[in-house]
Amino acid sequence: MNANTQESHAPLAGRYFDGHSSRLYHVTLSVRDGVAMLAGDIERSCPLGELHVSERSSHAVRKVSFPDGAYLEIADQAAFNNVLHDTGHRDGWVVRLQQSWRGALLATVATVLALWLSYQYLLPLVAKGLAYAIPQSVERQLGQGVLDFLDGHVFEASKLAGTRQQALRNQFARLATPGDSTLEHRIVFRKSKIGPNAFALPSGDIVLTDEMVELMPDDDAIMGVLAHELGHLQQRHLTRRIIQTSAVGAGAALLFGDVSTVVATVPPLLLDLKYSRDVERDADDYAIAMLRQNGIALEHLAQVFVALGKLDQGTPYLSSHPASTERIARIRAAQR
Amino acid sequence: MDFDTNNTMPKREAITFSATGSEYFRIWIVNLLLSIVTLGIYSAWAKVRRNRYFYSSTHLAGSSFEYHGNAVAILKGRIAAVVLIGGYNIALRVSPIVGLLMFVLLAAILPWLVWKSLQFKLYNTSYRGIRFGFGGSAKEAYKYFLWLPILNTFTLGLMTPFLHQRLKRFQHTQSRFGTSQFSFDATVGSFYKTYLLFFALLLGGLLVLIFVVFGSVFASFAAHANDATKVGSLMFAIGALYLWAFTVLPLFLTMIQNLIWNHTRLQQHQFQSQLTWGRTTFIMLTNLLGVVVTLGLFAPFAHVRWLKYRLEATSMLVHGSLDEFVAATGQQVSATGEGMADLLDFDLSM
Ligand SMILES: [Zn+2]
Repeated sequence: MNANTQESHAPLAGRYFDGHSSRLYHVTLSVRDGVAMLAGDIERSCPLGELHVSERSSHAVRKVSFPDGAYLEIADQAAFNNVLHDTGHRDGWVVRLQQSWRGALLATVATVLALWLSYQYLLPLVAKGLAYAIPQSVERQLGQGVLDFLDGHVFEASKLAGTRQQALRNQFARLATPGDSTLEHRIVFRKSKIGPNAFALPSGDIVLTDEMVELMPDDDAIMGVLAHELGHLQQRHLTRRIIQTSAVGAGAALLFGDVSTVVATVPPLLLDLKYSRDVERDADDYAIAMLRQNGIALEHLAQVFVALGKLDQGTPYLSSHPASTERIARIRAAQR
Repeated sequence: MDFDTNNTMPKREAITFSATGSEYFRIWIVNLLLSIVTLGIYSAWAKVRRNRYFYSSTHLAGSSFEYHGNAVAILKGRIAAVVLIGGYNIALRVSPIVGLLMFVLLAAILPWLVWKSLQFKLYNTSYRGIRFGFGGSAKEAYKYFLWLPILNTFTLGLMTPFLHQRLKRFQHTQSRFGTSQFSFDATVGSFYKTYLLFFALLLGGLLVLIFVVFGSVFASFAAHANDATKVGSLMFAIGALYLWAFTVLPLFLTMIQNLIWNHTRLQQHQFQSQLTWGRTTFIMLTNLLGVVVTLGLFAPFAHVRWLKYRLEATSMLVHGSLDEFVAATGQQVSATGEGMADLLDFDLSM
């Protein structure tokens, strides 16, 4: 810390390169009165303020660079650290963080926390903003591809009579929707190989399977199902989910670039399961608001989940839509 | 430059790599945190820190390498890359025609960017105070990074070994250390031989697997169709296919890297690369397993392990002395190319 201790250091051995040729000069470094002095194969002195010292590290060689591109490699790290310490050199806070295990542990915890917070709060917010900003033509293409694929693999043409289909469409069209914006939508009937199901695609198609129509106790319950799906559409749930999943995938690929394909696909799949619980609640709330506005008793909506709850576990509708009992309780609570 | 035939036996100088997984883990996690909280802006500084650590940990004949890349230059390159890629994605949404135009534009500037990125990377590397450099002309860059690859698609990829040889020849003959030029003398024939051996082994192994393993699985399926344990054996057969692919790919990487470096010279000094198949496969498989099991936390350890093995398998046969290289006059190199190549995940260096 003071001038006396500086002089007590023995000269340090170093390897000097002049920046013009690859020739190696063996030198010794000593520091006196704020000036670094080299002696040996070459003699040189330079004020400490003009030198640049590379960052501290336990396994990389530490270098001292001169303004003209020449530099010095010091082998004895410990002795060099003492000299630096006594000349008042201090590592930056990032370097100190990197060099301590406590800092690394802190950084690990903070990283996990930052990732979790951005997944939990930032990403949904950004995805929501983006989903509402995406032009409808793009959303339409997104959904159309999905429906074409499903038509090829899972669905057949509906066996429901055309008049029955039209009657349901008309009945739903007569209902007033909550909020002022009414999204363009189309109700599509299909016979499915996977049982009762209903879902909304970003294209504006609400798909209702014959099995779902037959399962419902009355037409008002069917209106409840459609209102729930319209809720998904209005709130761009599927588009938001697609944006979030691809963002998580891209993020994971960036972080673990080396083994991207294996690791990048796992987290989005795991994280995706939690997401649907919240959006189901939102869609239920939309359906509740819509039925109420049209004077339909909420019990019809509750009956939808009573009917679905009686089904075998393992139906696709149930696995993506959480616990029926919980939802029935919420709907009945809203009724009071 | 010809050989010093009158000189004594060459001295073998192996590369040593002193970085450790545990130290890199600490650098990596702090860099990761700062990159996340700055929404990626810090990643340019992170890259400089990482490269400085790795370069300073790489030693040849007692001296280590040094990285001089400037974080602001890298950041500018990354911003330009984000704008270009973002622009391309938006253009694709607006209309297919605008998207196509943007694609053509990208294809037209990409070779130039790759060329610039090679220059940036080498110019910012030094050893014993002398910087590396990369020459070549824009015309050559377009030939090797655009025309030949396009031509190759019309030959159903049959030209790939030829193209690979030409690319490496371009890269290695245009590189220099100070004023000294590197040279490269691997033949097109040797590249074809390596590719053919790889495909022969891959296909041969697959055929054996299909006939022996799948054959027996299907036979037992036909015998007792509803046996649940048979599903397990089918899974095993599919696993065997993957394992075979994971075993043969490292063989290819090993052979090609050895081929390339064993035919590269810096003036009279010859490089030598002695990667082995078994060790490469072992490191790649265990790294993959480690990263998956630790949810990514093993990644920095895996990186150091792989780098250490690759670097330490390389050595230089020094004819005479390493004291006589002379620096070239400096030139400024833009970082735009570097950032772009980084973001697009091109790693042209072997
Ligand atoms: Zn739903």
